[in-house]
Amino acid sequence: MSNNRDFAMSRRSLLAGLAGVGGLAALTACGSPGSGPASPARSGGKQAVITHWDKWASQEPWVKKEIGLFQEANPGVTIQRTMQASGNLENLLDLAARGGDMPDVFMVAQDRLDEHIAQGRVLDLSKYATLEWQKTFPAHSFVEGVNAAGGKIYSAPFEGYATDVQLYLNNQVFKDAGLVEADGTVKIPKNWNDVTLFAEQITKKGNGSVHGLGFGNSAFPIIPWWVNFFVNGSGTPATLPSSTPGGLDPRTGKFTLRTESPYLDFLALFLEWRDKGYIFPQSLSIDDEISRQHFARGKFGMIVGGVWNQPGWTDLGFTDYTTVTMVPQDGRRKSFFYRGAGSVHLAVSATTKHPDEAWEWFKWWYGQQAGTRFVQELKGGVSIHPEANDPSKIDFAPFAQFVAGAELVLPGPQPSLRNPATIHVVPKPVTPSFEDICTGLYTGQIKDMRAALTKLNEDLEKEFVKALDKAVQEGHKVSRDDYVFADWDLGKPYKWDIPEYLGA
Amino acid sequence: MTTFRTASARRALTHILLLGFGFAYLYPFLWAVGSSLKSKLDFLDGGLSLIPPAPRWENYTQAWQEASFGTYFMNTLIISVVSVFFTLLFTAMAGFALARTTFPGRKIVIGVIMVTFLLPHGYTIIPVFDLVNALGLLNTLWSVIIVQVGGGLVFGTFMFMAYFSTMPRELEEAARVDGAGFNTLFFRVMLPLAKPMAATLGLFTFISSWNNFFLPLVFTLGKPELRTVGVGLYAFTNQTTTNWTLLCAGAIISLAPIVIVFVVAQRYIVEAIAGAVKA
Amino acid sequence: MPTTQLDRAHPAGPAAEPPRRPSVWRRVRANGWSYAYLLPFAVLTGAFTVYPILASLGYTLYDWDGIGEPTDFVGLANFQEVVADGYFWNSLANAALYTVVLVPVQLVLALAMALVLNNPKLRGSTFYRAIYFLPAVTSIAIVGIVLKLMLANFGDALSAPLAGLGLIDQPLQFLGDPDTVLWTVIAIGIWNTLGYNLIYFLAGLQTIPKDLYEAAQLDGAGRFARFVHVTVPGLRNVGVVIVFLAIIGSLQVFDLVMVLTGGGPFFASDVVNTYVYRQAFGQVGTGVVTEPDIGLASAASFFFGLLLLVLTAGQMLAIKKLRARKERT
Repeated sequence: MSNNRDFAMSRRSLLAGLAGVGGLAALTACGSPGSGPASPARSGGKQAVITHWDKWASQEPWVKKEIGLFQEANPGVTIQRTMQASGNLENLLDLAARGGDMPDVFMVAQDRLDEHIAQGRVLDLSKYATLEWQKTFPAHSFVEGVNAAGGKIYSAPFEGYATDVQLYLNNQVFKDAGLVEADGTVKIPKNWNDVTLFAEQITKKGNGSVHGLGFGNSAFPIIPWWVNFFVNGSGTPATLPSSTPGGLDPRTGKFTLRTESPYLDFLALFLEWRDKGYIFPQSLSIDDEISRQHFARGKFGMIVGGVWNQPGWTDLGFTDYTTVTMVPQDGRRKSFFYRGAGSVHLAVSATTKHPDEAWEWFKWWYGQQAGTRFVQELKGGVSIHPEANDPSKIDFAPFAQFVAGAELVLPGPQPSLRNPATIHVVPKPVTPSFEDICTGLYTGQIKDMRAALTKLNEDLEKEFVKALDKAVQEGHKVSRDDYVFADWDLGKPYKWDIPEYLGA
Repeated sequence: MTTFRTASARRALTHILLLGFGFAYLYPFLWAVGSSLKSKLDFLDGGLSLIPPAPRWENYTQAWQEASFGTYFMNTLIISVVSVFFTLLFTAMAGFALARTTFPGRKIVIGVIMVTFLLPHGYTIIPVFDLVNALGLLNTLWSVIIVQVGGGLVFGTFMFMAYFSTMPRELEEAARVDGAGFNTLFFRVMLPLAKPMAATLGLFTFISSWNNFFLPLVFTLGKPELRTVGVGLYAFTNQTTTNWTLLCAGAIISLAPIVIVFVVAQRYIVEAIAGAVKA
Repeated sequence: MPTTQLDRAHPAGPAAEPPRRPSVWRRVRANGWSYAYLLPFAVLTGAFTVYPILASLGYTLYDWDGIGEPTDFVGLANFQEVVADGYFWNSLANAALYTVVLVPVQLVLALAMALVLNNPKLRGSTFYRAIYFLPAVTSIAIVGIVLKLMLANFGDALSAPLAGLGLIDQPLQFLGDPDTVLWTVIAIGIWNTLGYNLIYFLAGLQTIPKDLYEAAQLDGAGRFARFVHVTVPGLRNVGVVIVFLAIIGSLQVFDLVMVLTGGGPFFASDVVNTYVYRQAFGQVGTGVVTEPDIGLASAASFFFGLLLLVLTAGQMLAIKKLRARKERT
């Protein structure tokens, strides 16, 4: 038979194949576990063994170091860590719960926390999470409907706020193309036109072997990252708090976002870059990871990606690049990245035999010192603790540039803060999605951009109405008004009407 | 003289074709072998070249450690060998009964086999997980074996059934004249004749069991020390980065047992049974 | 346990059963050993193959994200949604094209290789068999990473000279071009799984008694005549099975497409199982994680399974008719 393996796979449990392959397609969320268990061997005395699951692979050095430091400070406790990578974690947690064998401490996803609470799987931390402890976090870190329910605290935010994607410039490629200021530093694009001009110059000087821009769209859609990066700042809110349905404009509550002019203008410009040959030709055939390495090797000058690109580059010995956090259409910042209040990260199992020790570990992980090491040693991102994010203490320019970009992230309108019942409104995905359409436009499979995006708006509206109706039928008090923030000023931090701390 | 010459020329041509085509055929694999010895930079800059400029043998020791192969190899071996044994035994028995006897209900069994071939086996492991949990087998190597064997019997039974039904009837009659009963006929006559099919199925079962990733992961959640090589390999891929060179090295390490099993099995696969039939 | 009566008539088929049937109960008792031989198969298959199928069949009636228990009953709405979805039919058409091209090409190649490698006089045949089998057992992750990189490098290397000659105006993209992607995946599919069919054919060739070849040679039959009159009829039974498995396996192709293209670009290489995967696990990336929909995924795959059942039943009927006609003439 021709595909014995496929066959055997779909015969057992398709999930098997699916999860496996997904993991391989590296970045898709179906990854899977890696490292074995931390050594549980510790002789003598009564050791409390805390099992811990997370999905942090590139952050592993930090995790291991914190486990070591924690165990030193708490000789009676052993942390037995298992890494379950990415999208698998939630499914595995569900299975573990079915088997009655949940880990004591685990990473939790925002959209699954309410389910865990409903099933009684997570421990109410209110006893430990005193007001005093809460106050080691910034205001609005503990929020009903986000990491608390019914006044009980179940999780806490770990990472701080930063731009989700950045534009990276390969300094050497820029220099080779003569794109340098008088002082010898590389030229930084200030607006879209700069990017076009720089890309043109790099491509021309590159003579077929170096291109201006590049990406890797094959494992999952990357073009939307470009759209997102360039539209943010250009007068349209592109990055919004998590409880806002995709494509909805909070100023009106209507699904018109994707056809606003920054979106249409940028997509048209992107296709122009393609037509003029500024973009690395194999961008649709390779995946993001390979494209990042091609960028590091100087095959093209600019790439859009997240801060997680940086450790991989350092690993290869590539450090000569520049991080750009915002390039508005005409150079003037008319909008920003918008975030919600609070978030989730770790939770403790309701069935843990060692709640006190589990809390100690939880508290350690969330502490300011661990956060400082996370930012300054690992350079893994920004911490929820502002003290940890001091750019002056960061010794690596591209990472400091990223951290400084935090000023571009403003509190935004979040429907679930005004009405927690909105978390029960979960619209189904539409096909083709915005991500699909971006690829279709690039390959030429979609010819009429405006028609495709208008249809997308209609599809999103339809699914939203369905989800809203369903939530109402289930007895939740929700309406479209919950999604309208007519008074919102894109240039200013949105004022949330919630208590700064819980139980105050 | 001339016939000898043309014969040897033809033989040489066969070998040249087989080798040349084989090289092209194996190129991606050889490239992976070369990559397993490259540094990350050489891997990225090497293009299509096979030869690592400075072979890094330490990739192999590193891969061995990072994928915890030391712990996982034995688990994988036990699971695979036991799975192969039970799969072959149960499928050969069932295939024999279905191919060589007619009994009430036979058509129903064949119908169920055909239908399970075509229907999806589900997109969630939950029913099977609950079943294994109810049997109290979670976090044991047996859970992986029983689910693997139980999920793979239909295919093997189907193959054995097809194979046994092509056996000449004279054989069976000769054996019965000699007074062989049902069991003797199966174990002494038919099963030895089915070596090519048994070796084929054994090989394929071994491969899928050896490479299996999801079942060992899910059924040993509470005891990560029972994980298998297939799970260990995933240490090299994660959400944002893949360690290509180590992944290549790890994959080649995990391929070695399969190659050994192949070399042994292929001998039985092409073992002519014609002689046995005559005797 | 009574001694089981071996059925003499088999494998000629039920048509050749003795004309006067004993009562069912008697026949059941007479076949005690057959049931005993089937018992382990029946128990394990029932628990770990049939039961999950039936459970998934239940999920098709629910709107369920796979967490907790399904509670939101929606009747046949999931099936309606699948049948009305153009992207499902697109994926079915792609899977069909994949199968129609891959199966004949791969099987002809595999049979030819098997004939060459079955020659006992061929030196180093073990070595060659290993060569042609290796791609089939190499981890699909490696295959995906290696081929993606190789094809991109290869595409770039080829594009410059071809563009210089004026043969192409766009750079060659084996996996990024919607017009070529499926053909690239088919070619890789042929390469990747050929080894399995090679082994099946090698095993099948063993069922042909050697004396048949000797007898044919004595009758003065040449190589080709021996192939047509001995090998082909001898492989018929095994061949039917191989073709059947190849077709089913190709229609259900999944992991190769997933690692190479994920079904893209823009659904150009989407096959049924990648379509189902998206429903079952949601779309990932770009921060937009959508809810998995196990109900819809199950419905899509059952609908596909039903189509396959109809197709197979049709195939079997056709084969029966053909055989019957042949026997009559």
